[in-house]
Amino acid sequence: MTGTARVQEWVSRPERGSLPAIRLGIWAARRMGRPVARLLLYPLCLYFCLSSPAAGRASRAYLRRVLGRAPGLADQFRHFLTFARCLLDRVFLLGDRTEDFEVTVHGEQILRDIEARGGGCILIGAHFGSFEVARAIGRKRRRDLPITLLMYEENAQKIRAALSAINPSLATEVIGLGRADSLIAVAERLRAGHFIGVLADRNVQGKDLARYPFLGAEAAFPQGPFRIAMMLQSPAVLMAGMYRGGKRYEVHFELLAEPAARPLDAAPWLDTVMRRYVARLEHYCRQAPYNWFNFYDFWA
Amino acid sequence: MTADIATQSAEESSLAQLIVETLNLDQHAAAIDPEAPLHGEGLGLDSIDMLEISLTVAQRYGVKLRADGEGNAEIFRSLRSLNAYIQAHRES
Repeated sequence: MTGTARVQEWVSRPERGSLPAIRLGIWAARRMGRPVARLLLYPLCLYFCLSSPAAGRASRAYLRRVLGRAPGLADQFRHFLTFARCLLDRVFLLGDRTEDFEVTVHGEQILRDIEARGGGCILIGAHFGSFEVARAIGRKRRRDLPITLLMYEENAQKIRAALSAINPSLATEVIGLGRADSLIAVAERLRAGHFIGVLADRNVQGKDLARYPFLGAEAAFPQGPFRIAMMLQSPAVLMAGMYRGGKRYEVHFELLAEPAARPLDAAPWLDTVMRRYVARLEHYCRQAPYNWFNFYDFWA
Repeated sequence: MTADIATQSAEESSLAQLIVETLNLDQHAAAIDPEAPLHGEGLGLDSIDMLEISLTVAQRYGVKLRADGEGNAEIFRSLRSLNAYIQAHRES
């Protein structure tokens, strides 16, 4: 497979469901309710275990690193199941009639500081656990976090449509990177105090990458999200929302960097901050191994 | 002054110079076709480059490029259109 084909494959994979299928899934999940829908995830995951050998290989390669032992089929199944459960919970986390999730938040003071100061932040996540759990935090505090999601244009369209299918009244905005003024829009949202959510573990365009040791071998991470924080002198805040079983989520916020002024030399600044991000990501992967949702060869 | 359509005016060439310096482009400022697209194909700038340009333009010319403008596709179309916008809005 060529590099481009591989990139294409996993750019489209995570949101590969067609919109009617997504709508059907949302409708069915709501009709059945969370407990019944969760039961259905077992046969569904079994099917995916059998029908997606490439994802299975990627899962086992990751699990071997993070668990430090040869993973069994049960581990792989649990990995797929955790992914499916987080996907399903999106519907309930983002919906209006929500189940009562038990969300523990660590580092909430960081959010309070940013809100008090205004000017927002770059909220840096990963395809790890749940990013949508941020909305449950907003609800718990009786004030939605003003989140704007930043993503590649290819995904932005679908996410926008899926979000509005789940809950048209959601305040979440989605900015796609396809326009010349995409990041000028981000700068304006920041000034309005928005939290700019971006997942910084996948590198789609194959440029502006930096390699860091991650779970025992080097992997490439995109510099873009960190560069944006640097250019706009915005705090870079790590968010890790781990699914902990049942109705429990555990969310951690950590301040990765707070550029008071734009660094004169970008390279060392980016290097320091990205190294920190990757190290913390590894830390959380070890805490909640089955929350890692990159089902392709991450170390390629 | 009647300029060739593909020739930079004096203002365009100083903007081209600024862009090349800001982005460390591997290209001579004078070689930028004033009508070629800046973003995507053409000069091949991505959205981070465009953000960098907007920050530099704000600093150098005091012109704020905004995201809500409907005319942005036109403003960012080329060196020529960006320069036209800057000249129309610059301070002093």
